[in-house]
Amino acid sequence: MTSAESQREALHHIAALRAESTAQRPTETELMARPKVVEVDHLDFSFGSRQVLYDINLDVRAGEIMVIMGGSGSGKTTLLRHLVGLMPPQPGKVKLLNKDMGSLKPNELLDLKRKIGVAFQFGALFSSMTVAENVKLPLRELTDLGEKTMDIMANLKLEVVNLSGFGGLMPAALSGGMVKRASIARAIVMDPKLLFLDEPSSGLDPVVSSALDDLILKLREAMDISVVVVSHDIDSAFKIADRITVLDQGHILAIERVEAIRNSTNERVQNLLNRRSVEAEVDPAEYLRRLTGD
Amino acid sequence: MNAAVRGFEAIGRRSAGFFDQVGYGSTLLAASIYWLLVGWRRRQPVRIRMIFHEMQQIGVAALPIATLLSGTIGLMLAIQSLYSLGLFGAEAYAYIGIALSVAREFSPLIMAILVAGRSGSAIAARLATMTINQEVDALQVMGINPVRYLVSPVVVALALMLPCLAMWANLVSEFTAGFYVSAALNSSFGAFVNDSLTVLKTGDIWHGIGKATLFGVLIALVAVVNGSTVSGGAEGVGKVTTLSVVQSICMIVVADMLFAYIATR
Ligand SMILES: Nc1ncnc2c1ncn2[C@@H]1O[C@H](COP(=O)(O)OP(=O)(O)O)[C@@H](O)[C@H]1O
Ligand SMILES: [Mg+2]
Repeated sequence: MTSAESQREALHHIAALRAESTAQRPTETELMARPKVVEVDHLDFSFGSRQVLYDINLDVRAGEIMVIMGGSGSGKTTLLRHLVGLMPPQPGKVKLLNKDMGSLKPNELLDLKRKIGVAFQFGALFSSMTVAENVKLPLRELTDLGEKTMDIMANLKLEVVNLSGFGGLMPAALSGGMVKRASIARAIVMDPKLLFLDEPSSGLDPVVSSALDDLILKLREAMDISVVVVSHDIDSAFKIADRITVLDQGHILAIERVEAIRNSTNERVQNLLNRRSVEAEVDPAEYLRRLTGD
Repeated sequence: MNAAVRGFEAIGRRSAGFFDQVGYGSTLLAASIYWLLVGWRRRQPVRIRMIFHEMQQIGVAALPIATLLSGTIGLMLAIQSLYSLGLFGAEAYAYIGIALSVAREFSPLIMAILVAGRSGSAIAARLATMTINQEVDALQVMGINPVRYLVSPVVVALALMLPCLAMWANLVSEFTAGFYVSAALNSSFGAFVNDSLTVLKTGDIWHGIGKATLFGVLIALVAVVNGSTVSGGAEGVGKVTTLSVVQSICMIVVADMLFAYIATR
């Protein structure tokens, strides 16, 4: 990519991001007509003798934001690690962009990995490098771009996540929310087709967390990507998701559009929604509204 | 070869026993060499820049302490040789023992112990921290092979720098020993150097260099194996760092003995 192209792209991104998010949630039929970008087929997983995932079947459609929701310890991170190829499926199959990671040749696997971006729960920024170097790392190691172009692309992505001007800092100097955003910048620097985020809102105060939700929505629009978000934050899930997968002790309870989850009659789903509400001590009216799905 | 290439992916799994660790270490060594040789063809070159950076850290930055240590060793050997040979009036032959033991034994051994403590521990700690912070996972999902990015440069840098340090130690030890001996015996420093050079064969130098290279690879592998199998947060980092130093010094001493035995047969 030339500098001119990068700059044009930068302007396009920034224009798209300035615009308020206006997109409506796609209807069920619209969604199901789209191609699958993630497919999980009969996935089981155990740590030793302890089974953590039971018969997971799941698909994510192009352009969708899928939130995998569940209590702490329900297996969300383990599932995500399977999705991004960090854990090879024992029984079962995981396909990304129609490719089975287990059966790819090294070069094909590399091509596939370039098309996915992952932001880990605790950022996983390289602590020995500045934020900008972190964002540039995939470009530096996986492309032949010149230094100048890499700078432009990294700055562009830092601007997207609202961190322009912080590129020179070391990760240790960032706040929790900034670490999350920096790791998102690194995850999207190769312009992936698929973005995976592990607990983007955990450990953040509500304002920062809500800003991050907006960022995720805008990213999807501006970059035309599919996003899989792992979260135990119900408010955030309701705000950003097209569909929600509810994971409970390693079992999938439901994969439904947001309204359907809100109105779910499944007792365990309701338990999950409610328990969180009680813990958060929201005011009773709000609590009632959430219960009744109003 | 595929198993070797994917070696690092076994990182999450603990290697419990010694033989597991040896197996893992050999796999890592094979994978490092693999990436060194064919990485550029798989769009994953081992970066010269990173090797140089490691060499600078391991070798150049260690020069002051290496000089101090080997200088002191030279003095110590001179003192001991004059004393023991003096028991039967053979001080004039001190240069023989000094030249041979410095080149064949002391330089590689002392430099290896220094590097194990200085750089082996740093490499283990760095890798352990990266593993715990999921930085290694991050590399993996980006498609950057952690072995070629993190391990190969370290293995190459240690295998190259330890012989260099050993050579430097040879020079410094010979110098200080010669200085002491010539002063004590009232002979000339030039004569000491001359005599030493006549007794030293190229084979002796190579013996030391070969050992130093082997020690360098050992230090690298022990550090990487320990660093990457860390568990349990910051405390775990401390544990594997200590373990890495202890293990590499033990392995260096044992390898030293085996090498001497095999090379002198
Ligand atoms: N490395 C591991 N070894 C053994 N058990 C683990 C390991 N990692 C996670 N677990 C267990 O697997 C379950 C699911 O964990 P995880 O996927 O991290 O849950 P979540 O992300 O939903 O909080 C938990 O009960 C956890 O204790
Ligand atoms: Mg988790």
